[in-house]
Amino acid sequence: MSEIHLTINGKPVVAQSGQTILEAAKQADIDIPVLCHHPALANWGACRMCLVEVKGMRGLQTSCTCPATEGMEVETETEKVVAVRKFVLELLFSERNHYCMYCQMSGDCELQDLAYRYGLDHWTYPRPFEKMEVDASRKYFIMDPNRCILCSRCIRACSEIAANHTLGLRDRGARTMVVADLDVPFGESTCVECGTCLQVCPTGALIDAKSAYGGREKDVIHTQTTCMQCSVGCDLDVVTRYQRLLRVDGVWESEPSGGLLCVDGRFKPLYEKRQRVTGPLVRKDGKLVAAGWNEALGIVAEKLQSGSCQGLAYCATTDEALTAFARLFAKVDGAAGRIEPQVAPLGFGQVAKVQDVLDADVIIVTGAQPLEYQRVIGYFIHRAADQGAQVAVITDDENGLSARAAMTLTSAEAGKAVETAAGAGKVVVVYGTEIKPEVIAALKPLGDEAYILALDPARNAQGATAAGLQPQEPSDVDVLYFLLGEQSEDAALLAKVNGAFKIVQAAYHSPLVDQADVVLPTPIWVERTGHVTNLDGSAKPLHAALLMPENVRDEAEALAALADMIG
Amino acid sequence: MIRSHVLISGDPQSLTRGAEEVRLAIETELHYYGLDDEVQVAFLGHVDRTDVLPLVIVYPEGVRYGPVTPEDGAYIVQEHLYKGRIVEHLQAPPEVLSGPIAHLPGREGAVYAQKRVVLRRAGTIDPDSIEDYIEHDGYFALGKAITEMTPEQVLETVRASGLQGRGGAGFPTGLKWLFVTKTDEKERYIVCNADESEPGTFKDRLILEGDPHAILEGMALAGYAVGAQEGYIYIRGEYAQSCERLERAIHQAEEFGLLGDNIMDSGFSFHIHVHAGAGAYVCGEETALLESMEGKRGIPRIRPPYPTVSGFRNKPTVVNNVETLANVPPIILNGADWYRSIGTKECPGTKVYTILGDVNITGLVETPMGTTLREIIEIYGGGMKGNKQFKCAQTGGASGSIIPPALLDVPMDFRNMAQHGAALGSGALLISSEDTCIVDLAYVLLRFFKFESCGKCVPCRVGTTQMLEALDRLRRGYGTQVDLDRLEEIAEYASQASFCGLGQAAPVPIITGLRYFRKEFEAHARGECPAGVCPMGKHVGPAGEQAHP
Ligand SMILES: Cc1cc2nc3c(=O)[nH]c(=O)nc-3n(C[C@H](O)[C@H](O)[C@H](O)COP(=O)(O)O)c2cc1C
Ligand code: SF4
Ligand code: SF4
Ligand code: SF4
Repeated sequence: MSEIHLTINGKPVVAQSGQTILEAAKQADIDIPVLCHHPALANWGACRMCLVEVKGMRGLQTSCTCPATEGMEVETETEKVVAVRKFVLELLFSERNHYCMYCQMSGDCELQDLAYRYGLDHWTYPRPFEKMEVDASRKYFIMDPNRCILCSRCIRACSEIAANHTLGLRDRGARTMVVADLDVPFGESTCVECGTCLQVCPTGALIDAKSAYGGREKDVIHTQTTCMQCSVGCDLDVVTRYQRLLRVDGVWESEPSGGLLCVDGRFKPLYEKRQRVTGPLVRKDGKLVAAGWNEALGIVAEKLQSGSCQGLAYCATTDEALTAFARLFAKVDGAAGRIEPQVAPLGFGQVAKVQDVLDADVIIVTGAQPLEYQRVIGYFIHRAADQGAQVAVITDDENGLSARAAMTLTSAEAGKAVETAAGAGKVVVVYGTEIKPEVIAALKPLGDEAYILALDPARNAQGATAAGLQPQEPSDVDVLYFLLGEQSEDAALLAKVNGAFKIVQAAYHSPLVDQADVVLPTPIWVERTGHVTNLDGSAKPLHAALLMPENVRDEAEALAALADMIG
Repeated sequence: MIRSHVLISGDPQSLTRGAEEVRLAIETELHYYGLDDEVQVAFLGHVDRTDVLPLVIVYPEGVRYGPVTPEDGAYIVQEHLYKGRIVEHLQAPPEVLSGPIAHLPGREGAVYAQKRVVLRRAGTIDPDSIEDYIEHDGYFALGKAITEMTPEQVLETVRASGLQGRGGAGFPTGLKWLFVTKTDEKERYIVCNADESEPGTFKDRLILEGDPHAILEGMALAGYAVGAQEGYIYIRGEYAQSCERLERAIHQAEEFGLLGDNIMDSGFSFHIHVHAGAGAYVCGEETALLESMEGKRGIPRIRPPYPTVSGFRNKPTVVNNVETLANVPPIILNGADWYRSIGTKECPGTKVYTILGDVNITGLVETPMGTTLREIIEIYGGGMKGNKQFKCAQTGGASGSIIPPALLDVPMDFRNMAQHGAALGSGALLISSEDTCIVDLAYVLLRFFKFESCGKCVPCRVGTTQMLEALDRLRRGYGTQVDLDRLEEIAEYASQASFCGLGQAAPVPIITGLRYFRKEFEAHARGECPAGVCPMGKHVGPAGEQAHP
């Protein structure tokens, strides 16, 4: 890429060849208004807001599509340009129901902003629009077509980012509208509720059900943290107001997912129904009753020193907590381990970063169901496939990725995947705990050239591994210490729990918590500070967006306090 | 025993044209001759042509009569079924050219076109016979090109001929081809734009159905010149018959070794595929066409890159109109100088026009570039219908300029028309008499554009709606000067700000209509329609504008 020089509004601007006028202007802090353009999406050129005048070029140019060239002279706010922008806005306001007063986006709407900027003070054109039905068939967000400006951002987001291709346009001309699949209600469509479309919509057409009317941009606080719902560890932008959790957005240009989230990260945690443990509890006269931290920790410290003990942790907490946990049990000579299984290394290849999936030429998936458990990886695989990557799924059962894979092979046929990879450029193997030994053997010839992405079933599994916590079963000890965090135990674990004295550190009530002798509360994802390590080994920071309830303490801190008490 | 069957077309169109009466007449006559038991009469649901309805088919001979009146029906029974003599003069004309196009040269009073280059074979050869085509100089140009000429020479000849695209914009064809050869990419495509969805235009159809091999040959020559091995014909979905003809022609040409691998043992291979559109006007726009060919929604692409650099499957692609391609074989055969001897200096060659509207003879005519509108109307159109006064013409299709009597004597070619703010476009010539209302005309056109806008960009999608709204108010007598001002403003801005040619050109009839007939618009704003065409207050209730939601 070479440097080019142009002037915008008389100001000399340096840009890279290949950049558009819009990009060049942005770098030089010159604001050109846009509606259909979004930096995370392919250029579209439809809204005509970004029209500019270029000396020597016939007519007006859309700056979002017109390449900047050496010596170009651009004017972004001439009388003509301003008149056309105002015209476009007037048309948009005439097309559908843009009575801002009653729109949840009022104040944050890109269309409204531009209307103010270009001085729309009345309806210029008649508004012959038909009312369309609001589609609230999806749980987490609503589509109100009456506010849609047909910018197609949502469609491009669904296709380009989520690679899900649910959205499209129906009809043409004035009857054009965004639809899911072949015009079915959103809730019955192939939508996976990743919410990417919601995040890019510039108007009040796509509305988050939880945060609607919850506060405008100027009222809210944004906190950037890491998603703890699976081992991918996407960056989150958590939106809160007055200590109320409003919404979660993805963070553009962040690692590993570049802004893409899934339903588990974006929506589900906001609909948590379990009952929170809000302070320490101790069992007195057969009943769990509230206690102070000192009392509770005192009992725990004493118990840990009074007999044999074992600590079992779900990995879904911070690196700091897991380290403190391991340290505590080392101190009391107890066994400490993790509850979830661990994915074993393959013994060949180099460690892949999540982003390696996107530019792979061949992707081999085996022993894992990313579309179910590490969804963003699944979407990335779809995206790579859209760009021409060959996807080979090796499985003896069903796998959601098969539908769009170039081939689905049985374990016995795993060699065919290696044949496909031979001579191809970049090969990425995506695997999980269910990988079969014969498949490992068959894939071995891929050698160290191949990129390997292990999909740990546990959130922050890498943090647990780094802390030295290996999978363990509950054993016959006097004291069992469970670090559950936000993850309630599964039935299998519950069945294995014996009559030992039970200490449970958990955020939510569960059968195990209710059986416990001492319960210590923990924060939840949105209240945490510290770090997690994601599946490609990146240490990712956690920043609390909400305060912990008054009587809750961070696990790492509580565990350290215990270690101190034990001396 | 049943000896014959008489099938009568019974589709709605035939019924309105008296198919029922024809049946009655035939049955009565059969009864009269005592043939009831030998001849079975039945209605056919739908027949494959609409120009000769009601159609009567007599089997086993398979003779087709049409259009048949009840008297004809009786006569057919007498002559054919009773006496066994085929009634020649009632036979439906051969299916070669269906629609009004078939009749133009033969119609009473019509004058043969002066110069036929692209239409020289249409209507005179059997389009389903490659032998017939070859007999009429067919595939000679291709043979000449690949045996005697280099691809560069072919390209150079086309360039020197001055051939300009006949799809609307008049872009120099040789230059377009040259752009493709300048790319590094070796996978290249030739696409024939046969979408022809301009209302009232059917010039491409005549070539497609009357002389399909000419297009194949033109495409093969283009392929040879630019180094492409694959060609696609994107054909308007409604042209089912053209589609069949083309498929058949491709098949024949492949059998003759004139298409396919290693044509005439030259090492040059060229394959042609047919892709039917699904009825969107915008898919005639070349980038929307390419999207549609790739199986996507037909909406225009961002340009640059242009198709010559990144077209079908992102490979360099020549997109040429049917008529453009049909010009190529004669150019190669007779040379650039010969071509330049026809037409005007700036725009050599001929142009095929579709004559529509208030003239005595409507249909197709091919004349050299430079013919005036007056000549077209008077010589080929047989003058104005009912000796009415000529009021205006719209040239170039639905988005063409409306031109006043003052321009009747402009020698029409791409350049001259552009100089007068008009365009040749697809070559449609809509002639209107004094009975026409300009506002009504603009309204009808805008209705088409509102429906056909692809919906991608705001000025076109919403602008057409709003222009139609204003026109509707004017024609209903509810319009005021405000509507007129609005109309003018939207037309101006939409033409400047739209994404593609559709939206940029849709306001042209309004802009030019206002330029030449402003008074008439102003009369409407006062509640008068000088031509007495518009409903003007005959409907109650506020026009167009709905109540506040
Ligand atoms: C809205 C719109 C519709 C068009 N429809 C047609 C069409 O039906 N047939 C055609 O040949 N060109 C059509 N064109 C022009 C094509 O985009 C393109 O310019 C042409 O096919 C190029 O061929 P030529 O160079 O041989 O003229 C249309 C353009 C626009 C903007
Ligand atoms: S939520 Fe995700 S999958 Fe569903 S429509 Fe939006 S972008 Fe597509
Ligand atoms: S729903 Fe939103 S993002 Fe999608 S087209 Fe409409 S306004 Fe644009
Ligand atoms: S001008 Fe815009 S809306 Fe109209 S057809 Fe072209 S791209 Fe589509």
